[in-house]
Amino acid sequence: MKPVWTPRIQRIILWLRRLAVMTRKEMLQLSRDVPIGLLLVYSFTLAVYIAGNGIRSQLHNASLLVQDSDHSVSSRELIHKFRAPFFRLEGEIHDPREGLRSLDRGKAMAVLEIPPRFHEQLMTGEPTAVQFLVDTTNAPQGLSAASYAVRIISQFEQEIVLARVGGTETSSQKFPVIVSDHRVWYNPDQNDSWFESISHLLRQITIFAILLPAAALVREKERGTVEQLLVSPLTPFQIMLPKVLAMTVVILCATAVALFGIMRPAFGVPIRGSALLFFTLTALFVFSTAGMGLAAATITRNQAQVGMMTLLVVAPMMLLSGLVAPMEALPTWTRNLMILSPLRYFIDIANGILLKGSDLSLLWESVLSMVLLGGGLFGFGMWRFRRQFD
Amino acid sequence: MNLGRIAAVAWKEWRETIRDRMFVLLAFLLPVSWMFVFGYGLVQDVEHIPFGVIDRDHSALSRDYLYRFFESRYFSFQGYIPSEKEADGLLQSGKIRVAIVVPEQFEERLLRGQSLGIQTLIDGTFPLRTDIIKGYVIAINSAFTGERLVNYLARRSGSSVEQAESQVHPIRVEVRYLYNEEVRSTWSMVPALVMFTLMVSSPLLTSLGIVREKETGSIYNIYSSTVTRFEYLAGKLLPYVVISSMNAVILWTIATQWFQVPFKGNPAFFFAASVVFVLTSTGIGLIVSLLVRTQIAALVITMVVSMLPTILFSGLIVPVSSLSRGSQIQAHLFPGMYYTNIVRGAFLKGVGLEVLWLDVMALALYALLLRGAGYWLFTKRPRS
Repeated sequence: MKPVWTPRIQRIILWLRRLAVMTRKEMLQLSRDVPIGLLLVYSFTLAVYIAGNGIRSQLHNASLLVQDSDHSVSSRELIHKFRAPFFRLEGEIHDPREGLRSLDRGKAMAVLEIPPRFHEQLMTGEPTAVQFLVDTTNAPQGLSAASYAVRIISQFEQEIVLARVGGTETSSQKFPVIVSDHRVWYNPDQNDSWFESISHLLRQITIFAILLPAAALVREKERGTVEQLLVSPLTPFQIMLPKVLAMTVVILCATAVALFGIMRPAFGVPIRGSALLFFTLTALFVFSTAGMGLAAATITRNQAQVGMMTLLVVAPMMLLSGLVAPMEALPTWTRNLMILSPLRYFIDIANGILLKGSDLSLLWESVLSMVLLGGGLFGFGMWRFRRQFD
Repeated sequence: MNLGRIAAVAWKEWRETIRDRMFVLLAFLLPVSWMFVFGYGLVQDVEHIPFGVIDRDHSALSRDYLYRFFESRYFSFQGYIPSEKEADGLLQSGKIRVAIVVPEQFEERLLRGQSLGIQTLIDGTFPLRTDIIKGYVIAINSAFTGERLVNYLARRSGSSVEQAESQVHPIRVEVRYLYNEEVRSTWSMVPALVMFTLMVSSPLLTSLGIVREKETGSIYNIYSSTVTRFEYLAGKLLPYVVISSMNAVILWTIATQWFQVPFKGNPAFFFAASVVFVLTSTGIGLIVSLLVRTQIAALVITMVVSMLPTILFSGLIVPVSSLSRGSQIQAHLFPGMYYTNIVRGAFLKGVGLEVLWLDVMALALYALLLRGAGYWLFTKRPRS
């Protein structure tokens, strides 16, 4: 006996079946695009590995030249303190002009000049001066190198002073000295590859989430196949939703590959929170950003335009949402503008779940903002799409 | 080779491009808008770091010590925290990035002349930020220590404060910032943005323009015409080279006039080198366009091969010398690095061909190889 469906349930089943068919169509279309497929594989495997392995945002291996005019125990001791991972001793020079030339060429980032009689002056308690020349064409790095240099020299100084004043007491216990004791949470070794590989993953998710559905929709518009879809019994929502659904599934799979296939085995990136929550929220993020791409697709007429349009949006999102420079480093207006970037919230969410082990009770604010923003964008895209074709 | 035919192809391409209003707008609007958004937005001076305090001493001296953090423009005080447990919650939610713990007997120990440790709990999710915070905290701690030490020694030995001062700080560190004397983030960022913008926008423009013809099928007109491969490619690329070169001039003007970045080098050298770079970057677009069939593929691939390596490996943010060995090799394989050297050299260092010849040579070689590969890849007989 055939089950008796009420008309309402029948309608829902029909609706779902159409959705499934359309989603399958999108998947097929995507799977036939070989270059995109290859790119997807590269972006979520090798690229993530390269980023996690290669990028050091902190001062690292700054090439240093030394001009030691003293050649004494003290000068050698001081030079010896400039070492990896922050500095890399590139060699010794004898002429200040040589140092300037290397800086001009970009062969060295900094030059340390130790004056003659450095050791003698230190021993007799005379004041002395050390020069540190640093290339600031890259301002943050130059500043960081200078601050490390000052830190290293003042520590050296303190050791000497304490040894001299304290006479036989070499320990600093007997002086009112504050010892800085840092405890770094969530990433105790300040492992750059954790941060960089996560950041890179988020960047890739963003690019694909915006571009794939947007381009797929515009391609239909451009080729005219969208007319076929519109004469079919599909609603605009049923045309748009499967595109986003298909891309979401693909991106989620790619993310899983990157996370479990690359980031965990190669860098030991932890998943301290719930993996399920992470993937659910990733899906939500892909949805929100896809809405952004679809909205762009409805404004533009061909793929070239949609590309340029999304670039106008993607590049600022990638650079200003807090992946390249920390949010605290950005001016107030940028931070205000980035309230509109779903990526900004997703960064907090991803780092929160993976590194801090946070759950929804701590992340709800970010999640809510992301949902509202994504819903708004998706709604806007729908409204535009409907207006264009109804 | 027939110059007339090259001109005809170039003219046709130019017309096609400028008729697409949106495309023209974006071709010029995109670089300019990036320049403004990033020039203002990507200033990397980390300030106003939100922090909390666990004060277990509540003495006059601990307040005096903490006052240095309150006053500093690098930190922004969010409130006192009763215990480490609450600090954990605040750090997790990102309300604060660092918590400073002042231990019991802070004042007592310091006045008695004993050392003590100040603990800071730092959010480690962003290693660069963590590093910067550490640096700030150490700087404040050592300044405070220096003052305490001077007072203590002056009292103990009965000498004057000045004497004790020179005893405590025998070494003066003279830091000289070269090329960017005021260490302005904008000055180092804006010239590099000229590179970033040209490196991303011109391959994109080129690849989309060429693939558009393939996708709409109008390329069959070319296949059946008398235009040779060389003439077609030369004419086709010309408008994009011109647009990108115009952009180089526009971006240079924005950098020097609007952002007031000093230009210490020779403009003639800079523009000549920029044209070489534009030939390279449009060449990348050409290669991509020959390998793919659809505009969407051209778009995504161009973005991935041009944007990500440029952000990561061109010296825009992280200097190439600080990269790992493998990444350094990658950096040398992308043209962005060479042009970054040229741009920063010409703007801030005021050096020219005598220092940067190697970079210009590398770019020229790159442009030549790309053109050669493009010529080799392009066939007038469509593959079935």
